[in-house]
Amino acid sequence: METVSIIFSFIYQYADNIGFLLLAAVGLIIIFGMMGVINMAHGELMMIGAYITAFAYHAGVPAPIAIIFAGIGSGLAGIVLERLVIRFFYRQLLSSLVVTWGISLVLTEGFLLIFGPSILNVPTPFGSFGVGELTFGIYRLVLFGVALLLIGLIWALFSYTRFGARARATMENPEMAEAFGINTSRMYALTFGLGSALGGIAGGMFALTATISPFFGVNYTLFAFITVVVGGGANVITGVTTSAAALAGAQTIVNNAWSVYVGYVSMMLAAFLILLILPRGISEYLERRKIRVAKKNG
Amino acid sequence: MAAEPAERQSEQALLSVDGISSGYGSARILQNLSFAVERHEILAIVGRNGVGKTTLMKTLIGLLRLMDGTIEFKGESIGRFRPSRRAHRGIAYVPQGRGIFNRMSVTENLVLGQGLGGIGRKADFDRVYRFFPRLKERGSQKAGSMSGGEQQQLAIGRVLVGQPELILLDEPSEGIQPNIVQEIGQIIRRLTEQEDLTVIIVEQNLELIHSVADRCMVMDKGTIIAHLTPDEIADEEVAKRYLAIA
Ligand SMILES: Nc1ncnc2c1ncn2[C@@H]1O[C@H](COP(=O)(O)OP(=O)(O)O)[C@@H](O)[C@H]1O
Ligand SMILES: [Mg+2]
Repeated sequence: METVSIIFSFIYQYADNIGFLLLAAVGLIIIFGMMGVINMAHGELMMIGAYITAFAYHAGVPAPIAIIFAGIGSGLAGIVLERLVIRFFYRQLLSSLVVTWGISLVLTEGFLLIFGPSILNVPTPFGSFGVGELTFGIYRLVLFGVALLLIGLIWALFSYTRFGARARATMENPEMAEAFGINTSRMYALTFGLGSALGGIAGGMFALTATISPFFGVNYTLFAFITVVVGGGANVITGVTTSAAALAGAQTIVNNAWSVYVGYVSMMLAAFLILLILPRGISEYLERRKIRVAKKNG
Repeated sequence: MAAEPAERQSEQALLSVDGISSGYGSARILQNLSFAVERHEILAIVGRNGVGKTTLMKTLIGLLRLMDGTIEFKGESIGRFRPSRRAHRGIAYVPQGRGIFNRMSVTENLVLGQGLGGIGRKADFDRVYRFFPRLKERGSQKAGSMSGGEQQQLAIGRVLVGQPELILLDEPSEGIQPNIVQEIGQIIRRLTEQEDLTVIIVEQNLELIHSVADRCMVMDKGTIIAHLTPDEIADEEVAKRYLAIA
């Protein structure tokens, strides 16, 4: 094999793995990373997005629009979930863990009962291209691009808009946010809905590459939490992107040297080691360093 | 229907509190407490630590649930409103400890003040910068990294942005240099004289009360036990009797 195609293959896999982690985490960045809400049913909100995408697609809706439907559907499902259940368990770590885990089981079993073990897949679009003797799917790169785009949009929304400032105020100090005219109960429902909608879009994107079954979401919940936790809460966006880059790096190197299974194991191991050294995540370390550098310079 | 209610409103107290009780969980801290505040008035509340002053402020803004009694603001019963709705009606709360959003910039803290007084009112940043020039200089700095005095200026400045009609101030002088305390006192005085602003201030600093307040109430065990004039509060004997200050 040519060196060029080997190097390209490596970069391609790295981008693919980063894209996977970021897309899985994209809704959870808001729900867990910013709001601090444990939602074990995150993958099931993605699963709902995948189902909506598949049904819409097979009903003749073009895939990109079907994915937008998925975002709207999962967002609404998230708001209903928040109003009916989640809001009673804010700041109760264990209860929310158990309750949302329960919700994830109910959704999985419910979809199994209604739709059976699997539904018709959606074909992967765009085809492939070749580098040297190897061929690569284009859609994987689209996933990577969309993941970066969505993260960029979240960052801009929370950094530069009035809604973003009000949401951050609510997350930092809900009582004072209320006193400043923000209906925090509505704000929690809205941000939870937004995180769910992003999860739905991610689910819809993945629906074009994966088997769609009631168990679709299980893997995503796990990887989403690992990515967000390793990233840490000091600066959620830089945390998640650096964490995805590090974990996908470990996975890609080991994947190539041994096997996919060992690749996953090495990613878990990397997460374990990072959290052992930096218990509050990568972003905590980066923020501390930034302050140190700023002090040194002035 | 047009003129009559407005006229009645001008005669009426801005805020009237009637027989309220509230507290934490099932513990009643405030018991059957009543008072009223007129427009443009600065009403001071004093009392020893733990008598329920902060509890009263939190009940007025709505962070603590009203167990009994009524609260009327501009003739409207607001006792069951959530805090954000009271804020929209024109009540601002500057808590003990300031309640600054530490992780946000100074400017972002000020912008949040726009949420007060309801939608459609124009935020006046320049007026706030005239009172507190430091807030403009420090605009992009993280609010949590400022000194206590600067944070107190921010805490007051950001509620002024929203042009509220009633400000609830809980111990603004706590942990702050005397010169800044005096400056804040003068600004409060000026605002109530020149603009449509009313202030309820909880304070331990009797000097500050004497220089700003029109009227003073003494609290003990969750209720009001005396009404004093600013001159009476400046009297050492009186202060000793009500506040156990040596
Ligand atoms: N969060 C709380 N939970 C339970 N009791 C409280 C709480 N905060 C204050 N208290 C009690 O309420 C009483 C009044 O407190 P507070 O209103 O803070 O007093 P003050 O502001 O006059 O010093 C005190 O006995 C205090 O112990
Ligand atoms: Mg107090």
